[in-house]
Amino acid sequence: MSNRVQLTLEERKGLERVGYDEQQERSGTFLAADHRVLEAKPFSDQVEILPVALAIREYDWVHDLVFGLVDPDKDEYTRMVKKQMEPLGYFIRVKEGQEVILPLQTCFYIRTDQTTQMTHNIIVAEPGSTLHLISGCVADAHVDKGRHLGVTEYYIGEGATVTTTMIHSWGPNVTVYPRAAAHVKKGGRFISNYVVMSPVKHIQMAPEAVVEEGGLAEFYSIVYAPEGSSLDIGGTIRLKGEQARCEIVSRVVSDGGKVITRGCIVGEVDGVQGTMACNGLLVNPRGSIHAIPELEGKSPLVLLSHEASVGMISQDELSYLMASGLSEERARELIIQGFLDVRIKGLPEALHKTIAEMIKKAKAGEAV
Amino acid sequence: MGSVMLEIKDLWVEIEGRSILKGVNLVVGEGEVHILFGPNGSGKSTLLSSVSGLPGYRIVKGSIRFRGERIDGFRPDEIAKRGVGLAFQRPPAIKGVKLDTFIQAIANVSDCAPLYRELELDYLKDRDLNAGFSGGELKRSEMLKVAVQAPELVMLDEPESGVDLEHIAVISGAINKLLEKDSPCSDRSRSGLIITHTGYILDYVKADRGHVFIGGRIVCTDDPLEIFHEIQKRGYEGCVHRLGQQTIGDVS
Repeated sequence: MSNRVQLTLEERKGLERVGYDEQQERSGTFLAADHRVLEAKPFSDQVEILPVALAIREYDWVHDLVFGLVDPDKDEYTRMVKKQMEPLGYFIRVKEGQEVILPLQTCFYIRTDQTTQMTHNIIVAEPGSTLHLISGCVADAHVDKGRHLGVTEYYIGEGATVTTTMIHSWGPNVTVYPRAAAHVKKGGRFISNYVVMSPVKHIQMAPEAVVEEGGLAEFYSIVYAPEGSSLDIGGTIRLKGEQARCEIVSRVVSDGGKVITRGCIVGEVDGVQGTMACNGLLVNPRGSIHAIPELEGKSPLVLLSHEASVGMISQDELSYLMASGLSEERARELIIQGFLDVRIKGLPEALHKTIAEMIKKAKAGEAV
Repeated sequence: MGSVMLEIKDLWVEIEGRSILKGVNLVVGEGEVHILFGPNGSGKSTLLSSVSGLPGYRIVKGSIRFRGERIDGFRPDEIAKRGVGLAFQRPPAIKGVKLDTFIQAIANVSDCAPLYRELELDYLKDRDLNAGFSGGELKRSEMLKVAVQAPELVMLDEPESGVDLEHIAVISGAINKLLEKDSPCSDRSRSGLIITHTGYILDYVKADRGHVFIGGRIVCTDDPLEIFHEIQKRGYEGCVHRLGQQTIGDVS
């Protein structure tokens, strides 16, 4: 599977850090650099991958899905995406009942300086299907300035499961505005993991999910923010059907970066359950973490809860590790790595390993 | 006694401005095992923490020497690297750090597997360090920690408290092995300083000397079993009266 796309060795390494790896077994692959799709290929007949522009031409119904979940007038960034003559992005469909075991990888790559990359992605998981997405976003090391605006819409059918693990590795002068929304139908599951381990000028994102009866949505964010990074991240989950459940977990380490983590759970009907845990670790006094957990109950029999914490590394933990012979630097490193080691529930073991490996790669070269 | 491993002279230590140790003198020779007895708050744990250089323990007077080198004022990792290991009485839980990740990070032995087996801890390898461990599990994992560090001075803070009888034998076995108790005295190079509250450990670990701590000082030094029996009969104060208060010179 090697050398499918013309990339330099350096580019390939950069892409591997966000999970786009030509040597790994995948069910399909999508790669776009700047404004062009370089690759959109399934390696299994269980999935369909097309550039979204092509899918719109090929299937009448896809047109109706475009901006079906995200309001095109939500903000200036969605408006900019809407204005594109031809959208850049992927259309992925898993047919009814198909369980795709291997992850499917997608990657958006800003290769050229001063690029504003605008993307629009549509994911359709038909009833009873399963899909695991690994989505990487990366800017070339030579990109001095760049911008990424993305709209992603997940349509999760009855009893279907979609997990998505997004790893961002932008750069100190790139600004990023992803807008994502998911509709989880009866008994469906949507698990979204978001990992940022490298510097970024500014990211602002707040995905939304609407969960129908018996459905599940989980948002996990794992963030390491060095000095100069500014992140405003979070998510809203609306529990609309009976027995719908959700969990929002964020683990943020600020090593000088400014981070706002938001989480909002809305319980709209009786019998729904949602929990939230926003934990922040400040390892550098120049950084800041602002945790804003919100719960909104619109019906008397909802069960919503949250916990939030922001603090420095515990002196007791540090002393304990140091008294075992570890240097202060190594002890801090271990505590930070542990803090960011969130075990995501409901993922296949192989995917756990893949994600752990990806996080490790994303950390490589950083302070962590 | 062979060469001196640890020498503490007139040690005064404060915690948050409160005087806890008030002139402790203690000499532990190479290959010796000393037991510290004393009521809660008498300063036993403070002594071990001070030797390990933990922050918050302010040495206001006196000195601590390890193998002749003055170590008071050193960072905990500098002291540990020189060969001092401390099994905490109440180790903190560190979420996300797996027991085995920690053990591998600190190990000075090439193979930790036999120690895991010996202390019956294999099943905890992938658990978060000290998080949700039972009392006995905490003590065994602390013992594992010290064993893989393979220090020259082994300091154990109540290694048997909260441990069921079956596992006291397991922990004691590990202590004896670490302290080379199967070897002749002359061949032992490791020394031990063990705090006990229950005295159970004395049934398994042969110690050379015992010290009674009261009010931040060592007030009595004798054979550890003798001390323990006196404490059982007469309490700490009674034990001191019976065995007699020791002078500083007697302690070594």
